[in-house]
Amino acid sequence: MNKVPTSVLVGLLILAAAGLLTGLYSGLVRLGLLSSGNPPISPIAHGPLMINGFLGTLIGLERAAALEKKWAYVAPVFLAASTILLLTGFPIPSHGALILGSAGLTLVMAYLYYLQPKIYHLIMALGAFSLLVGNVLFVASSPIYSIVGWWAAFPMLTIFGERLELNRIMRPPKRAQHIFTLLIIGWIAALTITHIDRTIGWSIASLLLMGIAGWLIKYDIARKTIKSIEWTKYSAICLLTGYGWLILAGIFGLWYGFPTAGPIYDGLLHMLFVGFVFSMIFAHASVIIPSLSGKLVPWHTYFYLPLMLLHGFLFVRIAGDMIGLSKVRIIGSYGNVAAILLFLGGIIYQLTKEILSQKSETITTEKQP
Amino acid sequence: MDSTPIDRRTIVRQLRNVIDPELGVNIVDLGLVYNILIVDGKVILEYTVTTPGCPMRRYLQQEIEKTLASIDEIEDYEAKIVWEPEWSVDMIKDDVEFFAHPPPQQRA
Repeated sequence: MNKVPTSVLVGLLILAAAGLLTGLYSGLVRLGLLSSGNPPISPIAHGPLMINGFLGTLIGLERAAALEKKWAYVAPVFLAASTILLLTGFPIPSHGALILGSAGLTLVMAYLYYLQPKIYHLIMALGAFSLLVGNVLFVASSPIYSIVGWWAAFPMLTIFGERLELNRIMRPPKRAQHIFTLLIIGWIAALTITHIDRTIGWSIASLLLMGIAGWLIKYDIARKTIKSIEWTKYSAICLLTGYGWLILAGIFGLWYGFPTAGPIYDGLLHMLFVGFVFSMIFAHASVIIPSLSGKLVPWHTYFYLPLMLLHGFLFVRIAGDMIGLSKVRIIGSYGNVAAILLFLGGIIYQLTKEILSQKSETITTEKQP
Repeated sequence: MDSTPIDRRTIVRQLRNVIDPELGVNIVDLGLVYNILIVDGKVILEYTVTTPGCPMRRYLQQEIEKTLASIDEIEDYEAKIVWEPEWSVDMIKDDVEFFAHPPPQQRA
């Protein structure tokens, strides 16, 4: 048997959550939290912790659990280790773990493509490869602004591939699938062009991003499932609003380009990472959690609260960026952190309640003669 | 080969309660259940998932095992994942309604 105990999965899931929480904390430090003190986590750790510590560990774990091969855990284990090493003050070994983890994830995704050579697996594998490219450049001390596109490509391509895979049930025309693939390959090519000419590369990337979002709005099952109920409806809302943020990011990128720092840079990145990526995380939580824990998360309308806060405060943040008021941007950022924590808290509460009620049911049944 | 009175229809009926949370459809109508073999009283269920990278694999395995264990007539069982033939959307039952119902625990 190749089965990995659920406790190991939950342990790695907790480490991914640690990556998220410390990543959020370092983001707030970056915005001025404890500015007069000596924060325990460096503000420059925000990106690596969110991308590798959280997303890398989570996505690597999800894939490893799906494959049920022990060697596939090399990715989440090394990416989680990189978080621990970074937080405990060992940046060099942390960098080594980052490279091993992202190379491992690329290998896992390539293995999936080998098992089933379909275009959606290729897109996901390109996503993992983007993470590896970003991490190699990061470890080689390239400036963050030049590599952040590769880091963004990792969750984005993973999600694009997953949506294409799920959308098979909608039986989209072959031509539409080819167009989607071309848009994505073009988008990766545009990311490469940004290293030669940032303005031209990002303008092409922005146009293609809008094309990808338009395709998803037209063909994704979300337009159908929005008429459903509970988690299904909720996921559809998250997906569609996430695609909306991609279109806004495309317009924003075309209009303002992709500066190397400053409020426009901040706005653009958070449209992608908060507006799109976190919407997708909210959308897929009801599937990710059971895949790792074996427990469904009972639905509650409460989950609309963090979703509204996520989008509402992101608008506040972007407004702060646009009008150049850092206080407004900080309010928006705190609101976004609160939204993510409230979502995470809601999931933990509902899961705990479910587990306790199942346990009490078992005890009652056992006590009955 | 069969040596027990276990009715395959009973097993199929029970397996219709195993819902793929990602699609909101039971695994039988999704065409994921390939075979139900009964060998010397042991039920061997051969099933697949929509892709080798399907995150639902682990969850579905647990739910299938729970379902088989809950059937009184079954004493011994094995839920075995297989990859041949490769699953395709053509295996989904005609006119199936996706997301017609959320996963069972949420209906309670």
